[in-house]
Order: sequence, then structure tokens, then C-alpha cells
Amino acid sequence: MNDLSASTHSRHIDLDNTDQAIIALLRADGRMAYRAIARELDIAENTVRARVRRMEESNTMRVVAVTDTEAAGFGMLLAIGVQVEGRSPEVVAREMAAIPEVFSVNVVVGAQDIEILVLSKNQAALSELISGTLGAISGVRRLTPALALDVLKNQPDWVPFHAA
Amino acid sequence: MRRKLDAADLAIVERLSRDARVSNRDIAERLGVTEGTVRARVKRMEEEKLIRITAVTNIDRFKDAALAYIWIEVERSGQTKAVAEQLADITELGFVGVMLGRSDILAITMVRNAEHLAEFVHQRISVVAGVRSAHSTLGVNFIKHDYRMARIVS
Repeated sequence: MNDLSASTHSRHIDLDNTDQAIIALLRADGRMAYRAIARELDIAENTVRARVRRMEESNTMRVVAVTDTEAAGFGMLLAIGVQVEGRSPEVVAREMAAIPEVFSVNVVVGAQDIEILVLSKNQAALSELISGTLGAISGVRRLTPALALDVLKNQPDWVPFHAA
Repeated sequence: MRRKLDAADLAIVERLSRDARVSNRDIAERLGVTEGTVRARVKRMEEEKLIRITAVTNIDRFKDAALAYIWIEVERSGQTKAVAEQLADITELGFVGVMLGRSDILAITMVRNAEHLAEFVHQRISVVAGVRSAHSTLGVNFIKHDYRMARIVS
């Protein structure tokens, strides 16, 4: 997969109502023309262009294509709890984040040390991912998986941009 | 099952997954196809819900934002689907899935802190008919989320 890591030059910007309104329209339709957004919000097209550019350049917002996991060939989605011993959960989590099938990684507090979401094309690939790849990472004591039978909702609207 | 993307679709999506504000003409020039081909394929993929073009915002730009995993057990197994459907209507939940193992349903949301999480579970999750128990895990460091991949359900 291609490199989407954010630039290190990102800076914090405050979003005003106009910015929020633009984000709301682009969430509904990411391909909406600048002209149509301008008309909808009753502001100049150049203002819309400048606002979008400012939010993109500061790594506040991106407009992207999200691919359906099934259309991409991944039939299985699992939530796996990871217990770590003898190593920092952060370090183990970063190693897991480098694996393409692992699409979400969170260091958590509680019975588990890390929660990850993974995709798999089939059972054989899943077996290899769990026993071969994830289980072999140094510091991984126990993996506790749950298979998603039916995903009713999945809106990744808020995400970290410093992806591995 | 949804149809899988073919090689031409994947080439277009690869470009759009980095920056979906790029024009059809730019994509067409790069791939050596006509602008009409790009437009038609993007439209078809969106209509068939194979892709969704949307704005995503950076969680790091929100103050005190943490991800919470809420594992829900239902009263009777036969209620699982109905409970999950009700949970999917809660705006604050970004993910709702019926699970095999660990618990019956997994719901994911963004909260400010542990106190906010406890309040949210108490006031919004536990009150849903059929919910027997809910236990949550609070994220302390959101390391990765590949937003280019999701189940497109609505």
C-alpha cells in the first residue's frame, strides 16, 4: 500500500463555522464541486478553495476514496485483543501497525493492552496472519480474536493521520 | 457478495485514495484513458457502494479525544441483530458489528475521557432494550487507522 504518512510540518488550525460547513458537505459528497459548495454556503468559490487547501495543508482534513473491504477482496474482519508481556505495548503496537492487513491499532487500558482491527481474504490467510505474523511478534503473549459476522455501521470519519 | 474491483477500477481508486479532489481529467491523463471512462467508473463504483468519497478529519486536531471499544452482551442471543440495529442509529457510534467471540456486539466511539465514556455507556447504551451488559476499553494512544478501508453499509 502506498505511503500516506502525514508531513511533519502539520500545525494546528482553528476551524470556524464556515470550515465546519465545508467539511459537512464534503463528508456527504467528497466530489462536490467548489462552485456548488460556494453556492450552497453563499460564499465565493475562491474562499472555498482557500479553506479546503488550508485544511488539507495543515493535515486537519483530507478528502479520500474509502474502498469497501469486500470489494477489495477481504471477506473477514476481526477485532483482536492483544496482551503484551516483557515489552512496551507502544512498541508492539507500532510493529503491528506496519502490517497492511492490520488497519486499526489502539493502545488501550484494561484486560487487553492493544486492540487491533484486521482484514483477511480467507481462512488460510487468517491462520497465517494470526499464528505466523501477529503471534510471532516479540512481546505478544496472547491474542483474543472476535470475528465480525455482520458490520452494521462503519464510518471512519475521525482517524489519526500519522498512519504507519 | 459485492463484485470485486477490476484492475482499471483499482488504478483509479489508488489515485483517489490519496486525494479524491483530483480531477477526472488528471486521472485520465495519468492512466491513458478518456475522461469519460474515469467519470463513468467512479460513478458506477459509488452507486454500487464499492467506494465512498468522503472527507475524513484528523483526530489529533480534536482536544482530549480517545477511542473507546464497547463490548455488549445481549439478554437473549435472538435479540442480537435487533439490538445492533438500534445501536447503529446512535450518531456517536462510528462502528457497530455483530461479533462471534468475546461478546455479542462491538461498538466503537470517540470520547473525551473515562468519565465521559462511563456517562455515554450509562445513558445511551445500557438503556437500549435487550442490552444485558456492556464493558468498555478506553484507548490511550490511537496509533493507526487506515481510512482507505471500511465496510460501506450506508
